[in-house]
Parts: sequence; structure tokens; C-alpha cells
Amino acid sequence: MTELVIQNLYKRYGEVEVLKDINLTVKTGEFTVFVGPSGCGKSTLLRMICGLDEVSSGEIAIDGELMNAVPPSKRGIAMVFQSYALYPHMSVAQNMGYALRLAGESKELIAERVTRASEILKIDDYLDRKPRQLSGGQRQRVAIGRAIVREPKIFLFDEPLSNLDAALRVDMRMEFARLKDRLGTTMIYVTHDQVEAMTLADKIVVMRDGRIEQVGSPLDLYHHPENRFVAGFIGSPKMNFLPVTGGDGARLRLPGGSVAAPRIGKPFEIGVRPEHMEITDGAENTLTGNVLTSEHLGSDTFAYVQIEGVERPAMVRLDGERQITHGEDVSIGFADSAVHYFGSDGLTISQAQVPAAA
Amino acid sequence: MPTDLSQAADARTFRPSPHAKRGGLRAGQGRFGVMLLLPALIAFSLIVLSPFVQALGLSLYKYTISTPEPIFVGLANFKKLLADPTVRGSFVTTAVYVFFTTFFSITLGLAWAIILNEPFKGRNALRGISLLPWIMPATVSAFIFGWIFNSRYGVLNAVAMEFGFIEHPQAWLSTTSGAMTAIVMVKVWLSIPLFMSFFLAGLASMDREQIEAARVDGAGNYNVLKDHILPHLRPVILVVVVLGMIGNLQQFDSIYALTGGGPVRATSVLSVEVYRRAFEQWDIGMAATIGVLWVATILPPAYFYLRQLMKGAE
Repeated sequence: MTELVIQNLYKRYGEVEVLKDINLTVKTGEFTVFVGPSGCGKSTLLRMICGLDEVSSGEIAIDGELMNAVPPSKRGIAMVFQSYALYPHMSVAQNMGYALRLAGESKELIAERVTRASEILKIDDYLDRKPRQLSGGQRQRVAIGRAIVREPKIFLFDEPLSNLDAALRVDMRMEFARLKDRLGTTMIYVTHDQVEAMTLADKIVVMRDGRIEQVGSPLDLYHHPENRFVAGFIGSPKMNFLPVTGGDGARLRLPGGSVAAPRIGKPFEIGVRPEHMEITDGAENTLTGNVLTSEHLGSDTFAYVQIEGVERPAMVRLDGERQITHGEDVSIGFADSAVHYFGSDGLTISQAQVPAAA
Repeated sequence: MPTDLSQAADARTFRPSPHAKRGGLRAGQGRFGVMLLLPALIAFSLIVLSPFVQALGLSLYKYTISTPEPIFVGLANFKKLLADPTVRGSFVTTAVYVFFTTFFSITLGLAWAIILNEPFKGRNALRGISLLPWIMPATVSAFIFGWIFNSRYGVLNAVAMEFGFIEHPQAWLSTTSGAMTAIVMVKVWLSIPLFMSFFLAGLASMDREQIEAARVDGAGNYNVLKDHILPHLRPVILVVVVLGMIGNLQQFDSIYALTGGGPVRATSVLSVEVYRRAFEQWDIGMAATIGVLWVATILPPAYFYLRQLMKGAE
């Protein structure tokens, strides 16, 4: 079974540590997404798995076999590059069959696999064209086709959708999901777009500054972020954060109101997702603020509510038909269960032991 | 002065600016363009065009040291030349010289460019030093190589004897193949920097990810070169081959300084032949005739080069 195990992995460029103590296991058939802001080291990690960047220290093993010194072509992986990196002077068919040709496979086998892959990706009409005669989406498919033809144990995707326009990106995202079901191969996918991560992944690896912040399923990360960074990074629109200004044993004082205190820990900050907030007086917790502006998307209305003492206005997701008067004082309400508590170190104060609010 | 605008508008006549010229803006730009070109045009006419036209004329005359005035002979010079085995020999020598110089300058220039395209410490310094042969005057380079090949105190003899390849010092430049090898080496040495620069520029525009993708697909160095670098550099190679051929067809200084066209006629390429006929034998008419034939051989590659340039400009 194809299992990728990374242990104590470091990448250094001179004095600079780009990756710090990475430990990760990717199981067979898993769709794993590395996500994080630019410069977090996610692409470097992918390139090291691929074998394009050398390991400074630590181990990368596929199927129990140490890969540190194995050249990329011998690792049983295929990579789809951000720029697609198609060979401009070769036709689509030649692009896709290149790896097999180098491996000395027979013409029949190459033709058969290229045909099969091109049918899966619906590019069988373009096999004789050169890359420059294709649209962005078609090029993307050829790049994926080139990977499929090799029948790798692991697919690596480096921000494959970032060069496509928004509409095409949504389409291709769906294609990736379909491909994942159809091929069932292990896939590792790098993106800075948390929506891509949430929609595609079985397992998300959130990275920041060369470290893994949290690993888990999309819903796991959404509901139980381990720290403030993951809480803010996962979920769209972003979670609202409010500083804790004081309080007693039962209630925590916040700017504009208060919230139920957790059973354990001394929170420094709390977070509530916009979709868990309402504009209402009748809720377990309420905050007062002034409506700064609102955005009507049809399906949703986003209200930006300025709470005194908080720099960033809180965002509240409301029904699409809801009308909001700008400049009006309102009460934001939310349930106890919607509150995430964070300590001064940025870590989540887990309330797992605490019974869910009644 | 027409200061009253409303009055002017009523009359529906606007006096054109006194600075405006006939033909409007476009013609004015055209005139300005010609003015900018004029210095170059004058220089070209004086230095290149008029001597060429003169030579073209002289090729139709018998004009030697024994003829006080040029005598018009029509195409007799050409007839005589085509029957002359020494001139045919010169063409063959030139062809050999151009082939080897072009071939080796391009392969070595490309190899050097690929090496200098890899990131390593001191790369920029090495790139700078690599341009040295280009900066040095060709005759100086020729004399340096003259010393290297010298039969009595040359470095080549010393090294070859040290390693036991030869027992006695050799007079390298006095054999036909030795002299040819020497002038080819000098020219290759002179050309590498320029060609390397062309190739480096071409390599700089190469997509790094494309090479990486090829590596992942299992391409080794040979396949990366053959399937990716060479196809990418194809347009550059085309230009460099043509430029190299033109330059090598014209080469004179380094050859004349090193061998003077000898031994006997072994390295007497067309340029040297023209010089010898004109200024050693004082047969100006014949020299001009060879010159015309020589230009004719340069024209096809020059045409290709210009066409390639035009294509690039479109």
C-alpha cells in the first residue's frame, strides 16, 4: 500500500529554515491538501516529496522505502506544475507520452495509455495540437493527463488552479473531485485557497512559517481549530475575533457585551464565525454595535458591525432578503456553543471536557 | 495676431501654426526619421557602399602594376579566375575554415553557456572573464597563439614534450593541417564569448519548471538537452549559425597575423587571397574580382540572417 511518511523533515537555505520539523503521514488513496499563506513552505514541502528540492535533514519514505536520495522519476510520483510546464514544441500526445517514451515503453502501450487518459480528461480531440494552440483549461488538462499516463502511486499538484479564471477554477475543482473518485490514487495538492482545500480534501494540512499548524479533516478544522491561526484561516468569510477585557467566573467581559466564561482556562480572546452570529436580542450572548455597511450577495447578506473597542468590524452573515439600515445600533447574538476560546499563546482552550451548553 | 477666438470661429478659417509643415504630422515624422538616419547613411556610403561600387567596377578592368591606367576587359577577369586552381583552392580552404570555426564556436559556446547558466559561486566573475577574448584585439590574440605554437619556445611544444607526446619540438604552423588547426583555434577562441552571450540570453528565457517536469518524467542530462534545451534555443542557434558563417567568411586579421596565409597557400582563405593579390602582387583588378565573388558567397547567409531578424521584428 502506498503510504507517504515524513519524519523530522527540515529544509534550510543557509541560515534560513524554510521547513521546521515536519512530521506527516499520508495514507493510501487519501486526498491531502497543504494549505497556508504564501511563503509558508507548502510548495517547498511538495517539491521535496517530488525530489526537486533536497532534504536538509529528516526522512521522506514512500511504502517504507527511504526516498531522500532517489531521483524524482524513480519515486513513483507525478507532478502537475503551477505553470503546467508543458513541452511547447511537442504535441499534446507527445507531451503525455514523454515519460513512457523515456522509459522505453512500446508505442502501442504509450498510444493506449495516452488515449485512455485523454478520454478521461476529454482532450482526445486535441492530441495533435501544440500547447500554444490550447486554452488555459485545456493546457491544465494536458498537464494532468501527462501525470495520469504515468500511473503514479502519488499525484502531486502545485497550485494547479491558480492560473485559471474564476469560473474555470470552479469547473476544474469539480473535475479534481471527480478524478479523485475515479482514480482513487493518493493525491497531494498545494493551494493557498482554503475553499479549494475545504472542497477537495480528505485531509487538510494547515501550514504557517514552515511549520504544520494542524492536520485534520475539513470539518474537523472548521469545528475544532487548534489555534487562532487555523481558526482564522479556515472558513469563509473569516472568523470574528474579540479581545477579552475582563470578567468574573461566570461571564467574560467583551467590547460591547459579554459571553459565557469557559469552564477551564483564562481566555485572552474569543472567536465566533460570521455564520454563527445573528442580529437579534434574544440569544445566549449579545454584543452591541453600529452597522457600518452591508453587502448583498442575493443568497446572503453580510453586515459589518463596528463594535466599540474593536478595530476590525465584526461580520455577521444574514439571510439574503434581510434589509439592514446603515448607522443603526444593533445587537449581535450567538450561542455559547459557537464560541471558540483562545489563550494568550494563541492556542485554543479546548472545551472538550465541558458539556455542550444547554 | 488673431487673439479673438470667436471671430476666428465665425470665419471658419484657422491659420495653421507657422511651425506646421506641409504633409502633416506623418510626413514630419518621416522627415525627422530620415534626419536621424542621415549620419549613419553618410558613413555607410563613404566607408562601405562607395568602395564596394568601386570594387565592382574594378573587377571589370585589367589593373596591375604594369598597367599605368586601368584597361576595361569586361568579364575576362571572372573567366580567368574560374579557371584558376589557386582561387578554387582558396574557396575550398575558406569552406573548411568556415565549417570548423562555426561548428566549434557554436558547440563550445553553447556548452560554456550551459555551464555558466547553472547557479554556482563565482559565476558572475567567470562570466565576466569569459568575455575577455572578445575584448582583446584579434591580432593580439593571434600573436598569443603564435607564441603558443612557436616551434622553438612555444608552450604547446613544452607541454607536449613534458607529457611525452613528442620527442622533439614541432614546427606546428609549418604543416598544412597544423596551420589550419591553429587559425581555427584562434577564431573559435575569439568567437566563444559572443556566442555564449547569445545562448545565455536564450537560456535565461527557458522555463525552469519545464526542465523540472522533464526530470520528473525521467529525462537525464542528454534528454533535457536534446528534447528541451535545443528545441528552445532553435531560433538562437539559427541566428548564431548564420552570424558565425558571415563572420568567419570575413575573417582576416587573426589569420594574416598568425600564418600570413601560409605555409605556401594552406591557410589562404578568400580574405587573405584578396589582400595578397592587391597588396603583394598589385593586381588590383583580380583582387576586386575575387572580392566580388567573395561577397556573393556571403550574400545567402546574410539574406537568411536579415530575414530571421525581420521575422523577429514583426
